[in-house]
Amino acid sequence: MTNRPDTSSDAGTGTGTATTTDAATAASDTEASTAEPSSSGESGRAGLKSRAKWYALSYPLFWLVAVFFIPLCMLVVFSFWENIPGGRYRIGFTLENYARFLDIGFTSTWPFVEPGLYLGQLWLTVELALVTAGLSLLLGYPMAYYLARMNRPWLRSVLLITIISSLWVTYVIRAYAWQVILASGGILSSAGVALGLLDEPQSFYPGYWGLVAGMVYVFLPFMILTLYSSLRNLDGELLEASKNLGAGPAKTFRRVTLPLSKNGVMSGTALVFILALGSYVLPRLLGSSAQRTLPVLIEQQVMSESNYPFGAAMSIGLIVVVLVFLWVLIRVTNVTTASLGGTEEIATDGGSQPARSSAPGPLTRFRSGLGTAAATVGLTAAGSRLAAALDSVVTRIDANTRESIIWVTFRAYVAAVMVYVVLPLAIIIAVSFTPEEFLTFPPGGFSLQWYAEFFGTADWRNALLNSLTIAGAAALLSTTIGGGLAFALDRFDYRWGTIYGTLGVLPILLPPVIIGVAFLVFFLELEIGGFALAGSRLGIIIAHGIFYAPFPFILISQGLDEIDRTYEEAAMNLGASSFRTIRTITYPLIRANVVSGALFAFILSLNEYIIAWLLSLFLVQTIPIQIFNQLRYSYPPTIAAASVVFIFLTVVVMTAIDRLSGGIWE
Amino acid sequence: MSGISLAGVTKRYPGGVLAVKGVDIDIESGEFVTLVGPSGCGKTTTLRTIAGFETPTDGSIRIDGENVTDAPPYERDTGMVFQDFALFPHMTIHENIAYGMEAAGEYTDEEIDARVEEMLELVELPGVGDRTPDQLSGGQQQRIALARALAPRPKALLLDEPLASLDKQLREQMQVELRRIQQEIGITTVFVTHNQEEALTMSDRLAVMNDGKFEQVGPPEDVYNDPDSRFVADFLGTANIFDGSVTAIEDGYATVECADVTVQATAQNGVSTGDDVSVIVRPERIRFAGAAESDADAAANATVSASTNPSADGGTQPAPETVFEGEITFKRHLGSSVEFRVETDAGRELVVVRRSGLDERGPGDRVTVSIGATDCRIVEE
Repeated sequence: MTNRPDTSSDAGTGTGTATTTDAATAASDTEASTAEPSSSGESGRAGLKSRAKWYALSYPLFWLVAVFFIPLCMLVVFSFWENIPGGRYRIGFTLENYARFLDIGFTSTWPFVEPGLYLGQLWLTVELALVTAGLSLLLGYPMAYYLARMNRPWLRSVLLITIISSLWVTYVIRAYAWQVILASGGILSSAGVALGLLDEPQSFYPGYWGLVAGMVYVFLPFMILTLYSSLRNLDGELLEASKNLGAGPAKTFRRVTLPLSKNGVMSGTALVFILALGSYVLPRLLGSSAQRTLPVLIEQQVMSESNYPFGAAMSIGLIVVVLVFLWVLIRVTNVTTASLGGTEEIATDGGSQPARSSAPGPLTRFRSGLGTAAATVGLTAAGSRLAAALDSVVTRIDANTRESIIWVTFRAYVAAVMVYVVLPLAIIIAVSFTPEEFLTFPPGGFSLQWYAEFFGTADWRNALLNSLTIAGAAALLSTTIGGGLAFALDRFDYRWGTIYGTLGVLPILLPPVIIGVAFLVFFLELEIGGFALAGSRLGIIIAHGIFYAPFPFILISQGLDEIDRTYEEAAMNLGASSFRTIRTITYPLIRANVVSGALFAFILSLNEYIIAWLLSLFLVQTIPIQIFNQLRYSYPPTIAAASVVFIFLTVVVMTAIDRLSGGIWE
Repeated sequence: MSGISLAGVTKRYPGGVLAVKGVDIDIESGEFVTLVGPSGCGKTTTLRTIAGFETPTDGSIRIDGENVTDAPPYERDTGMVFQDFALFPHMTIHENIAYGMEAAGEYTDEEIDARVEEMLELVELPGVGDRTPDQLSGGQQQRIALARALAPRPKALLLDEPLASLDKQLREQMQVELRRIQQEIGITTVFVTHNQEEALTMSDRLAVMNDGKFEQVGPPEDVYNDPDSRFVADFLGTANIFDGSVTAIEDGYATVECADVTVQATAQNGVSTGDDVSVIVRPERIRFAGAAESDADAAANATVSASTNPSADGGTQPAPETVFEGEITFKRHLGSSVEFRVETDAGRELVVVRRSGLDERGPGDRVTVSIGATDCRIVEE
């Protein structure tokens, strides 16, 4: 159902397409640099062309405006409506929801004010995000540095693939892995008892530091990859030059490497901060009731209390926090866009593509905002002070010993971080083969019974089928939306082109829990009109399709950007119609981008929990939902088997993307 | 009649830049016409309007008598060779050449295969059909691009600087090859280049373009020897140009006063007294007075222009000559000829080309230079 409108719009645009792009190439060819090629009104077929231009845009715009932007606006409207206890609400205007959210109590002692429950939890959410970002930076920097500087390409790609693969595995499975580690019968406490550090088995979760360990584990890969791409761009000769000029390793690091990787540090920290801020699964599964973050509270209001207006109000609150954060970054740090140009985030940061195509737009500013988080946090300063201290210590030892001590320590550190990244999923895999009835580690033998159980249970099979169906359809939908938008923006000039481009990457920048709530209220309203989308697979497909459209959009834009237009001209010159040209020339040349984009959307949808959960209304089961639900009540090792099947699927798809793109990670 | 005719073709870009300003030309069936001019002169845009990649703002284009002004590129039956060849990288050579015929949908698989083989023979690359474009050298890719353009039997062949990306030796080889194939098939051809040497050596006719207009259209010899404008003279080959005004016309010879000298030239192009004109003299038409003016030398000059007639010994009425005294400042060998730079006492630099082996003189030597009035071309400025 999603394919048809897109193809027809493609076919319709062909003729106009050629003329527009030709005008552009010809203008540059004739060195008519003052010409503004193909803005509008060319004689001849101008009428047809301007129509084709809007046909091409209408399809992606329909989804992004009617099905994405409107729900977001509805969220604002909803937050002023009145809640009727018992799961209903009434159209009206009340500030009660906000009053409840912003409740502040007054006391007689200093500081005389006491934040209410929700403001307190809001601060906790921010604090957790800051701690997570800070620790990720401390752990991630040496790792990224090692990856960027190491001389063995094969080892580097093994390490990178490992880090990247774990990145895509659903938060639910990864939180589960940490439960296994932190539980009272888990590895940490068993090891503690065995080593005599603990007197009796003890559970480390739910609790603050258990939650932090899980959060850092989940977001560390984003940090490592962002830092890696920034350090990788750093010229090795610069470092040699510094050493050649007599600077010791610590000094070289402090004076050359660190300043030059500042952009990466900032982008990575900001990225992790924003992701952690919107995280739902980890606080829910690893935190105690004291660690209920804003996303958890929002979910609770919506799913348990059915208080949609209050859920909407808190969502707006979360959006405001994100916006204020960005605004402060831009204001306080005053970092120019140009200074951030060197960083390229891997896939997770959607900003790079549209930002490149035009003058600094909102996205560019957003990116620069992202990049400056670290400065606010003061991590850069802390890092360099640390390095200075290290420097003064090590200069007292003679140079060779110093080098080798640093090197050995460094490697041990990197190895420890790598263990931290790899171990949780390795444990899940090990657990899945246990012959016992309970989760135990180390497993007491080898058995495939839990896999048999997984594939033999109708619930699990059904969930797997749902997951695959939803992910497949959502991938198709996001590819048509993202691809359609990329195609339209590439082939035509629009007055508001930058805005349309921003709209194409916007979905991924918002916390998923907000997307989920927005779609839920939208679908609930549609239900009045007779479209029952909430609680159906179709609803989840639509939400995922839009939420992940930025990935195909970015990849396909990139592909179209890199195509040599002469190929298309050559085809038309040889008598191929516009449609035939797209089919036989354009598409084959960007196929790798299209397929990679679709696979990204597929894998993200497959692993997505919170949006699917909010929209499921308890009626749809996917694998992440099923695992999550089971985690609430019991811990059958079937969960581990299900996780391993899922991890396997994820790794297969990631490898396919890697093959297709010929090493996209570099 | 199968040819191409352009009538008043104009192209204005949306930004207001006028790239082509009303060009007219009738290209005969089987004719090889070159559009030549500096970059930015509109030659490529003109070619692209013929191919259909640009729609003219004004004017009309006919191919084979049919008005195609508003037809899309794929309904025009032209075969184009692009500057960087644009061979489809995801297809084999065979698939590349077959592409046009497959798009046409009028051929059976056997016909297509046979035609592809025939084309590969024509460009002297049999047996490369299974390779991909990146497995071929630049020169080979060039030939395949030509084969691909010709395979669907187009009405016209359009060449957009196809030799620009080849190295010098290969370029010269391909010039000959391209011309051979064009004549073998007898296809109407429009060739775009900024390389004046290519334009002069390959075409039946050439059209010199400047600033969106045709400055002059004609056979290479005519355009070279009798340029219609200062621009054409300057752009094609080397020219010594004297800018001045006509002070008198006597016996068919005009006297042109320049800042430093006075030049006598055959009155042409309807110039009259008081006109501001340019006198153009090709380097090989200038002689050194007192040098051995052998028969061989005369013959050498004659190959450049039959109209040269120094009539040094006993003609009825010798044409007036302009004589300069000067010093050779520079000399270089061009193979069969030698180029001198002579600085006249009035401070003007002249370029003189002589056949090799006639002059022992070199830099520092004083020379007397003479220019016959009949060796001059006079154009209005």
